[in-house]
Amino acid sequence: MIVGDSKPLEEILEMIQDKEKVLVLGCRGCVTVCNVGGEKEVGILATMLRIARKKAGLAPTVDERTIERQCDPEYIEELAEVAEGYDAIISIACGVGPQFMSERYPKVPVYPGINTTFIGGALEHGVWSERCQSCGNCLVHNFGGLCPIARCSKSIMNGPCGGSANKKCEISPDVDCIWHLIVEKMAGMGRLKELERVWPVKNWITSRDGGPRKRVREDLKQ
Amino acid sequence: MRLQYPTNIKIIQLPCSGRVDILHMLKSFEDGADGVYVAGCMEGDCHFLTGNFKARRKVNYLKGVLAALGIEPERVEMFNMSSAEGPRFAQVAREFTAKIKELGPSPVKKAKAA
Amino acid sequence: MLKKVTRVFDENKRFSPEYDEKSTQEIAADMVIKAIGQRTDLSFLGDKSPLEVSPRGTIVADQLTMATNLPGVFAGGDVVTGPWIAIGAVAAGREAAISIDRFFKGEDLAAGREKMKLLPEDEQDYNPIPKNIEQAPRAHMDFRGAEDRRHDFAQFELGLTPEQVAAEGERCLNCGICCECYQCVEVCKAKAPAHDQVAKDLNLNVGSVILAPGFDPFDPSIFETYSYSKHPNVLTSMEFERVLSASGPYQGHLQRPSDGAEPKKIAWLQCVGSRDINHCDNGYCSAVCCMYAIKEAVIAKEHSHEPLDTAIFYMDMRTYGKDFEKYYDRAREEHGVRFIRSRVHTIDPIDGERLRIEYATEDGEAKAEQFDMVVLSIGLQTGPEAIETAKRLDIDLTKYHFTETSSFAPVGTNRPGIFACGSFAGPKDIPQAVMEASAAAGIASIDLAESRGTLTKEVVYPLEKDISGQSPRVGVFVCNCGINIGGIVDVPAVRDYASTLPYVAFVDDNLFTCSQDTQAKIKNAIEEHNLNRVVVASCSPRTHEPLFQETIREAGLNKYLFEMANIRDQDSWVHQGEPEKATAKAKDLVRMAVAKAALVEPLHQVDLDLTKAAVVIGGGVAGMNAALNLADSGYPVHLVEKTDTLGGNARFLLNTWKGEPIAPYVEDLAAKVQNHAGINLHLNSQLTHAKGFVGNFVSTIKTPQGDLSVEHGVAVLATGGHESKPSEYLYGQNQAVVTSLEFDAELKGDPDLPKKMEAVAFVQCVGSREPERPYCSRLCCTHSVESAIKVKENNPEAQVYILYRDVRTYGVREDLYKKAREHGVLFIRYKLEQKPEVAANGQRLTVNAIDHVLGRPVTFDVDRLVLAAAIEPNQVKELAEAFKTPLNAEGFFLEAHMKLRPVDFASEGLYLAGLAHFPKPMDEAIAQANAAAGRALTVLAKDQIRVGGVVATVDPSKCSVCLTCVRTCPYGVPKIKDGAAFIEVASCYGCGACAAECPGKAITLQHFTDAQILAKEKAAFN
Repeated sequence: MIVGDSKPLEEILEMIQDKEKVLVLGCRGCVTVCNVGGEKEVGILATMLRIARKKAGLAPTVDERTIERQCDPEYIEELAEVAEGYDAIISIACGVGPQFMSERYPKVPVYPGINTTFIGGALEHGVWSERCQSCGNCLVHNFGGLCPIARCSKSIMNGPCGGSANKKCEISPDVDCIWHLIVEKMAGMGRLKELERVWPVKNWITSRDGGPRKRVREDLKQ
Repeated sequence: MRLQYPTNIKIIQLPCSGRVDILHMLKSFEDGADGVYVAGCMEGDCHFLTGNFKARRKVNYLKGVLAALGIEPERVEMFNMSSAEGPRFAQVAREFTAKIKELGPSPVKKAKAA
Repeated sequence: MLKKVTRVFDENKRFSPEYDEKSTQEIAADMVIKAIGQRTDLSFLGDKSPLEVSPRGTIVADQLTMATNLPGVFAGGDVVTGPWIAIGAVAAGREAAISIDRFFKGEDLAAGREKMKLLPEDEQDYNPIPKNIEQAPRAHMDFRGAEDRRHDFAQFELGLTPEQVAAEGERCLNCGICCECYQCVEVCKAKAPAHDQVAKDLNLNVGSVILAPGFDPFDPSIFETYSYSKHPNVLTSMEFERVLSASGPYQGHLQRPSDGAEPKKIAWLQCVGSRDINHCDNGYCSAVCCMYAIKEAVIAKEHSHEPLDTAIFYMDMRTYGKDFEKYYDRAREEHGVRFIRSRVHTIDPIDGERLRIEYATEDGEAKAEQFDMVVLSIGLQTGPEAIETAKRLDIDLTKYHFTETSSFAPVGTNRPGIFACGSFAGPKDIPQAVMEASAAAGIASIDLAESRGTLTKEVVYPLEKDISGQSPRVGVFVCNCGINIGGIVDVPAVRDYASTLPYVAFVDDNLFTCSQDTQAKIKNAIEEHNLNRVVVASCSPRTHEPLFQETIREAGLNKYLFEMANIRDQDSWVHQGEPEKATAKAKDLVRMAVAKAALVEPLHQVDLDLTKAAVVIGGGVAGMNAALNLADSGYPVHLVEKTDTLGGNARFLLNTWKGEPIAPYVEDLAAKVQNHAGINLHLNSQLTHAKGFVGNFVSTIKTPQGDLSVEHGVAVLATGGHESKPSEYLYGQNQAVVTSLEFDAELKGDPDLPKKMEAVAFVQCVGSREPERPYCSRLCCTHSVESAIKVKENNPEAQVYILYRDVRTYGVREDLYKKAREHGVLFIRYKLEQKPEVAANGQRLTVNAIDHVLGRPVTFDVDRLVLAAAIEPNQVKELAEAFKTPLNAEGFFLEAHMKLRPVDFASEGLYLAGLAHFPKPMDEAIAQANAAAGRALTVLAKDQIRVGGVVATVDPSKCSVCLTCVRTCPYGVPKIKDGAAFIEVASCYGCGACAAECPGKAITLQHFTDAQILAKEKAAFN
């Protein structure tokens, strides 16, 4: 899933400081699953905004709504009748949300309420970790199922580097050296020899470095 | 035991302190509460096993939210007490009220009055 | 001048002196003291009163009717009799009243009347003094000496000493007799006192009787040297519990009784009234005091503001219960409770408030310390009333006054159908007492199986009204609760205020809303005003909600269409000094309740059928007993045993601690199980999967014949444990080193084996009470002591040593310890950090240890070294996963509550028994098995289980399948089913944790919905 983090309240307040009618818009997709943008968080953020505005002596209108997904136009369309009645919409979805919203409702300023952080998964309730960098060319099977692109600080294909010490990456004692784990895992599977293969420099063209990406499936297109 | 405590404490009954939602507490501040506290069972004695631990975590989270809003985090607290501890209930009610009185009315209300 | 007295009494023997005025005598004196009497003062009559007055100055009245010479005027009391007793005046008043009544009615005053006289003894209206009460003389106060008294008029009575006052107080018989003044009836607005109620003898036909009279705490007054009755700072442990209690005399503040100062040092003395046949006859160990003393010390430290020093003086630290040893370790290592192995002889009060204790350290050094308080850890004993009850019922008691029971029927007595549980059947702690209580219920239900349900009555309710689509019409009933609420809160004002609230269609106030006539009024109001919600503003929902719910059900409303405002416990009682604010708060509370009431919806509980069958896992003694108890109570049982034999560990045991041979019992038990038509036995089988919930489990049993799917309503897990294999003391390397069970097997094979031996040593705590297994295995001390006695009885010449850390022959097992010492068994204590050393010496072994008395190393040779190896639970990971039952750190099953629910799992319908719970001797395993059966029967005896009501429900359209509920439910109830979370109604406990966590707000806790809670919250402010 796409994992995000709530924007600091201060930042959101600054975005909407001169806006009277505000809508907080949630998404039932990834951000609900990672407990940052579902109906509950919409309620919390909206209440926080109302409190902040009350505190500032303003008469606030902060409405709440949560739609199925903000990354599909049909769901965005559900707001057609109300969207333009707002002076501002705060989208608490991944970065797709504010863009789809702005594209559909160009007259209403749409602000992001979430910082989209990474593609990852839950290690336990309340803990998420990055697993994928969407490089466009998946090779994890060569590394014992562990991705050196997303999980090595330097995304190196032939590791570990000299910064690996005590299973940890030199950038922080909280970050595992994925290459240490890859070697351990492959050794455990008796496949250490496979790591002797020297990987050529990765072609990043499939990744973001090749420019914004778009995917078309002719068979599905109507 | 009929131990006396200030009249401004109003109790909302829940089946377990684990039922309390951050939203419930936050809305109270929006609606004009000067302070909110959760009274849960003693740690290790939750009738529903772990509800009181969940409540404490939520209260701690809410303290951060209040701080971000410029509201004193001490306005929300979690207390553990057993149903046999009437004196502790009254004492907490008195002490919490005294603390809130010291802090004065909630900044949310002050602005409203202004 | 004195004149001669010619007469003292008159002809009626009344004091009426006459004098000879002429015969006088003169005496010179410095001071004259007049001894004055009393006489009537009739001056109010005036000079010309026609009322006849006697020469003595009293009014003349008829002795029978109290009539004077003037019709309509009556007289009585001292004015008639002269000075006399008060009770005589009371009698005269009553007689006069009767006469006045007759006078007004125009009747004859005297006709048919007799002078009042004492009733014959058997007609007198007072409770006779019980015969067993000893006569205690009245206390007599001292007088000042005559010489001293000559000089002044100061009081010559010196008063009673404080001790005499206390003794006088003790003379009160507390007879509690009522003088029938009816003042209680007068003040009670509910007219609750019923003076016509008297004790009645009831004859009940019952199938069984369970005795649970409990214990009396030992009274330590007889220990002269402990100063208990003399010094306020010497307390019993029970009294100290009160000191620590928030509702105790000091509101939970730790303080010294003598002066209220916070103590800095407290000592506990163990075994007061236990393990003692010198001061009392309680030779047994009271089984609970070690643990409660540690608890009290730890809590006292937590309560103390200053660092508190606590010292426990003990003989053996007996923390043999589940997780007790860990508590002992923490008390010692983390809380710094001092443990001093010494029996204290004397507590010396010293100057000021303190107490001095002299004791000998383990090294034999004499020491003395001063304490602010000393707590006597008093033992448990059967009270005289319980002994009396036993006599009346012909129940045999032991010499210690506990019920005489067999190890194989631990809650039985000598009379079939009469059972005993708790400390009446021997001293024990709470979990064991709770187990025995359930066990007694379980066993009793066998005899009652046929008559089950024959005396129950069913309540019939009217058809529930359909309120769907109706706008809320709320009725508010405000209660005065006599003066409890009405005395502080302005109830009519609250009632009138309620009528202004939205949706309120009817208001009323009542003196007692809970009274029967008010229930009728509420029902009428519902009918007349077409109410569809009811709010009662009164007391606590904890006590009264069910009553009012019942009332509205009787009026055809769903019981959830009800809300309470607690304006008593939360208002009038706790704001007594602020009536105006209390009234305002009552209005707030009513407004909050009405706000929620407007949103409450009818909820429908559903009755599910259940499978009246049980699965019992484990064919040991615990499993077999549970299976038999259930099958004998009329329910089919699947008994699953993983091996090919029934009996478990019991097959390897010789005797119980009471000496009963185990083999015949186990054979008989196994035969009963095998031949029981209601028991489906699966040998060589295991339960691999389980799904469902209480009443409706479906499990897969892997049998040699293939997988079997079994439907059942409950399951008892009695998977047992085993003796661990030691890794020390040359075990496995030397033939002469054996475990307790192996030694039992040797003795079974050759009962005369001890005759062939010169010396045997037992080593205790082998693998127990160590970091690796931080628990006491509970049964090994008794087992080794028992084996040691066996050796000595067979060969008195043999040297028998027991190397121990603490001898934990708890309860009445203490007698065995005493017997072993009498047989000459040598007990040598060792410390964990100084374990005995063992070396091979030809066919024999040489043991090296430190003698704790001499403090010197001792060396001796033995023919056998018996290791009391730790008891471990059997591996049950898969079973635990199948039923989602938790295990503790050591792999034992974890019950729902260590003290209060010792045989239940947190999940309903699942129970545990035997060694899978914790090491225990056979009698306790049997009790726990019967307890598990008893608990399981509470489910099986029902025809249906009612589910629903306050439970969580999922709106699948809002569910993001995020797993938050699955991960946060404390009971593991939510599952993902058909693309959304699913919460099984029957399994949900209704705590609402999932509703509070759900990020999509897809989960609602019925009756405590967000909308309802927030409406109440919002109403609190305006």
